[in-house]
Amino acid sequence: MNRRDFLKRACITGIGLSIPGTLDSLIGSLYAFEYADIGVARGASHEAATKAAIDAIGGIRRFISRGDIVVVKPNIGWDRTPEQAANTNPEVVAGLVKLCYDAGAKRVKVFDNPCVDPRRSYRQSGIADAASAAGAEVAFMDDRKFKDVAIGGRALKKWPIYTDVLEADKVINVPIAKVHGLSTLTLGMKNWMGVMGGWRGRIHQNLHQSLVDISQFIRPTLIVLDAVRILTGHGPQGGYLEDVKVLNTVIAGTDQVAVDAYGATLFYLKGSSLGYVRLGHEAGLGTMDLSRLIIRKIDV
Amino acid sequence: MKTHTVRTLRRLSQGIFLLLFLFLFIQTESKGLDQLGYPVRIFLDFDPLIALATLLSAHFIVAGFFFSLIVVVLTVFAGRVFCGWICPLGTLHNMVGFFNRRRPAPVHRGWHTLKYYILFFLLVSSLFTAQLAGIMDPVSFLIRSLSLSVYPLVNYLARAFFDTVYTLDIPVITDGSEWVYDIMKGTILSFEQPYFLQGIFIGLLFFLILGLNLYERRFWCRYLCPLGALLGILSRFAFLKRSVSEGCTSCGLCEKVCPNGAIIDGEGRGRGSECLYCMDCDDLCPEGAITFGWKGRGEGVPIDLSRRNAVVSLVAGAAAVPLLRIVPQSRRGWFNAALIRPPGALDEGEFLRRCVRCGECMKVCITNGLQPTLLEAGLEGVWTPRLVPKIGYCEFRCTLCGQVCPTGAIQELTVPEKERVKIGMAAIDTGRCLPYAYDIPCIVCEEVCPTPEKAIWLETVKVQPREGEETVLQLPRVDIERCVGCGICEARCPVQGRPAIYVISTNESRSDGNQLLLNP
Repeated sequence: MNRRDFLKRACITGIGLSIPGTLDSLIGSLYAFEYADIGVARGASHEAATKAAIDAIGGIRRFISRGDIVVVKPNIGWDRTPEQAANTNPEVVAGLVKLCYDAGAKRVKVFDNPCVDPRRSYRQSGIADAASAAGAEVAFMDDRKFKDVAIGGRALKKWPIYTDVLEADKVINVPIAKVHGLSTLTLGMKNWMGVMGGWRGRIHQNLHQSLVDISQFIRPTLIVLDAVRILTGHGPQGGYLEDVKVLNTVIAGTDQVAVDAYGATLFYLKGSSLGYVRLGHEAGLGTMDLSRLIIRKIDV
Repeated sequence: MKTHTVRTLRRLSQGIFLLLFLFLFIQTESKGLDQLGYPVRIFLDFDPLIALATLLSAHFIVAGFFFSLIVVVLTVFAGRVFCGWICPLGTLHNMVGFFNRRRPAPVHRGWHTLKYYILFFLLVSSLFTAQLAGIMDPVSFLIRSLSLSVYPLVNYLARAFFDTVYTLDIPVITDGSEWVYDIMKGTILSFEQPYFLQGIFIGLLFFLILGLNLYERRFWCRYLCPLGALLGILSRFAFLKRSVSEGCTSCGLCEKVCPNGAIIDGEGRGRGSECLYCMDCDDLCPEGAITFGWKGRGEGVPIDLSRRNAVVSLVAGAAAVPLLRIVPQSRRGWFNAALIRPPGALDEGEFLRRCVRCGECMKVCITNGLQPTLLEAGLEGVWTPRLVPKIGYCEFRCTLCGQVCPTGAIQELTVPEKERVKIGMAAIDTGRCLPYAYDIPCIVCEEVCPTPEKAIWLETVKVQPREGEETVLQLPRVDIERCVGCGICEARCPVQGRPAIYVISTNESRSDGNQLLLNP
């Protein structure tokens, strides 16, 4: 909480305390200023929804400080267009970049390690153009910048990780919600595979535990789950527009397990049905018990 | 002191065309969009030898046919100015020849006729449907050599240098070198380091031919270049002519300076078909006795071909075709599983009649997967493109190879067309596939399979491992009706060295015979 927020809240609390108890409804609305655990915003403007979802959990200034070097990590895995919902929505990424700069970030870097040709993925996803226009540094990943680091997990002992992620002040995960052949769904935790180098194919041998290990290692400041369009079939690449469901929704949270557990509900699944969510919950990385969380839904 | 105005102009023209050529060459690379944005194959479009050879071998008028007519008309009127002022390979020969400081007494061995026989050989074999012209066509030769060898070499050098400085991590210097490296990556370097089979051999051949300039300047242009020969024939009666006036003192200087051996005696008599119109003789003549001007037809010095050699070259050209074809590859029903042609490639026979082996498709291939063949398609198919999925797969929505092909050997496809074209099919080697052979979960091939309804699907089975309890496992299976043979499964298979899933050319759309299904 910065000084401005503190003063604002102190002021509101003061007013609230000075109001006679009969004005219950007003006091009730003041509770709305408490942070939610998960913000879910729906609206036709994806940038506005992104902002609203983050505002619900405290606003971008709660997460980004002046002078921060921020890594915004979308899913740019495939050579597909935004309508095909295989990559994070470019407007969500751009909106997030702008918010970071609004909060005083010094540099915002956007990158991913695509599964196919990076040039096509960056371009066709619309993310390279949108994020650059918002002022982000959009670069292809540089092979030399992967550094072997100790992950210390149960499945992953050490793995090459991208140094920009290791050196950033803040890391924001911006995945898209879609189906996947092995992990059932790919949401936030699976998106970390994009900062991993080496032969990622081998991770599939023990995927769920590996995802928990890497998520425990990276620990993002914020997770913004793009559910503007979700891919409900033939993931993770898709291709059929019939598989794409338009939800115009953006979800924000700080608990990696909780955000993924919430993401599962978009597909009418329980978080506990996803191996990595269950293992993450058990390992204490976060909670998959959504009933214990404050989830605020906003229409913008 | 005499100023060499014409020479300066000529060098300027050569420089501009060489830079244009190199610029377009470097632009022959994806930027992430479906189109390249520049007419990268335009030098090939202007090449009359390619147009003529393709017309003869495939009875096909190439897209650049009318461009090539411009060069023809230019040559008929003004002689071989293409060779002297435009040809980028000629310019490179000039540059290397600059280091040839030996100025031996001019000799005229009559070797200049060799290139005409080479031309006859190539055109006759084209007439009998073997497209061999591209092997020696200078534009094709240059693009191929640069693409497959020189450019990868330059990239390797630059990357090795910058990587070394990066690893040393010297304050200030490394920052500076990284800054330069970034600029170079955005301009002249390729997106990734290219690697090509036969790159060494193709490079050595290129350097050998450039090196011949040290033996005799413009050796290639004088004795070997079939395009030069074609233009030489066309320039026989050119209107732009060189003439020697009465002022000539027979000093022999022009004979010595002529880069192409076109001046055949001390009196300055020249063979028009060999003149590159560099006009050095005009510039350097101490008496100012040599002029170039527009004149009517006149009798120049003939090319001096021998009838016997001409007949030999024609017969050899005709005989070469059956010689190349008496290999099993020509048999009906023979298909090489490893000969995976690019998407949009014509049926093999027609493909070979058109492909000029310029290497543009291999240069532009986004994954480096298109590689030059050696003998996979028979000697006749040497240096034609084939996909080697282990090196690089065929990117599902990319159509670049068809866009750069100068002769339509690879047809230009729209993205929806491309997504349906099959170049082969995948097969699983269950003896090494992780789930099949070792009960280890792995779905990488399924995940990367790009067709919307995935051609690789997962069958769920129960397995009893040697130790522990019964578990559920997903086995990848190939749906060969949906598989397009792109090879990304092979490229990404974690079983490296010899992937557990691989692509063969079977089921390729371009072939009626190479099919597996009753109703493909």
